[in-house]
Amino acid sequence: MAYWEIKNVALRGVTGTVPNNPVKSAELDIFTQEDAELFDSTVGILNRYLAPDDVCASDLCYDAAERLVAGLGWEKDSIDVLVFASVTGDYKTPPTSSILQDRLGLPTSTFVVDLPMGCCGTLYAINMAGNMLSAGTVKRALLLIGDTASRMGSYKDKSRVPLFGDAGMAMALEYDATAEKIAIEMNTLGSGYKALMTPHGGYRHPITKEDSFVEEDFGNGIIRAPKDALINGMDVFSFAITKPPVSIKKMMERYELTIDNVDYFLIHQANKLIVDRIVKKLKLPLEKTPYDLQEFGNLGGASIPMLMTYNLADELQSRPLTMVCSAFGLGLTWGTMVLKTQRVRVLPINKI
Amino acid sequence: MTNIEKLNKIFCDVFSVEESALNSEFNNCTVEGWDSVHQLSLTSAVEDEFDIMLDAEDILEFTSYDNAKTVLAKYDINL
Repeated sequence: MAYWEIKNVALRGVTGTVPNNPVKSAELDIFTQEDAELFDSTVGILNRYLAPDDVCASDLCYDAAERLVAGLGWEKDSIDVLVFASVTGDYKTPPTSSILQDRLGLPTSTFVVDLPMGCCGTLYAINMAGNMLSAGTVKRALLLIGDTASRMGSYKDKSRVPLFGDAGMAMALEYDATAEKIAIEMNTLGSGYKALMTPHGGYRHPITKEDSFVEEDFGNGIIRAPKDALINGMDVFSFAITKPPVSIKKMMERYELTIDNVDYFLIHQANKLIVDRIVKKLKLPLEKTPYDLQEFGNLGGASIPMLMTYNLADELQSRPLTMVCSAFGLGLTWGTMVLKTQRVRVLPINKI
Repeated sequence: MTNIEKLNKIFCDVFSVEESALNSEFNNCTVEGWDSVHQLSLTSAVEDEFDIMLDAEDILEFTSYDNAKTVLAKYDINL
């Protein structure tokens, strides 16, 4: 069983940056007005911020990181760990985290790692960095979680284009012997990996000019080539409404959590259909289940810190909160984190 | 409104068709635009209308007008 209790680690701050390019569903080339209306009412994603071709996830994360470090008053020399959780790194090699160490002016003594774990990115980042900080030999970690998922697929794929938005988030973790433990459980269903994948571009199927760029029409407005990321909507939906609720329930039972003693349930904002169903299945009160997908779309791993930044800024800064966070996606992987915070610094979202 | 009238209205609204189009040939292969968004919109509307919660496998089965009726029978919805 993949399950952790991370002691002595506190979340100190969070913020995020999005490209200053809001796009409504009806403005997407692939939609008619009627398509856009059905999509908005069903999937619930009315707006998303899309990065231009020359903006990477690392650029958005860099902005968020600089602001957060300054906002917390952290000396850059005091940062020991830098995690970059993204499936849209700058290059195939080297890891983007090493580039960001230099860009951010962090010391060469910084431990860096890339985590290409998709929508569970925040849970993986907190799990890895948190476990590193727990012993106290290193004290501070900067977690950068972001993607430009809009750039991964075909612009002619109606099943994918409207779902995703782009963002870069920064979270700050610090060793703190008085912190409440962070509990995380993770799961993997590798047999389902084909539901979310980019078929060509790795070493199983390297990019070739003969076939990687050849577009195929799959019907219903789905045109893409093997180099493009794909999403099998029904398989993902079936997975997402089945597995995460079981994990959430298990963690709530383990920690004797109820609807009453949890302040918020942060559910990965995949789309309204999925989040609504998880909420309904677990009978979660809507006032404790914030949504931001109507504004940002599916942000992949950045989803949970964006909920903290966009929906919970005032409360995170003013009182202790108990949050149950659920993520699910690529792999297929899913997990639940119980996070109890003291006062957390939350800086406003920046648009660049 | 009877249950079958309710179901027909949902299909007509989601696919923008006349009730006369609903027959045993009405399925995800023959209906243009029947994608996952339409299918999930359909199941979501059915759940709201009949106050039920479909299992994941039943949502995946909702691929035709006839299948919809078969699935609803499992939830004791008499059509």
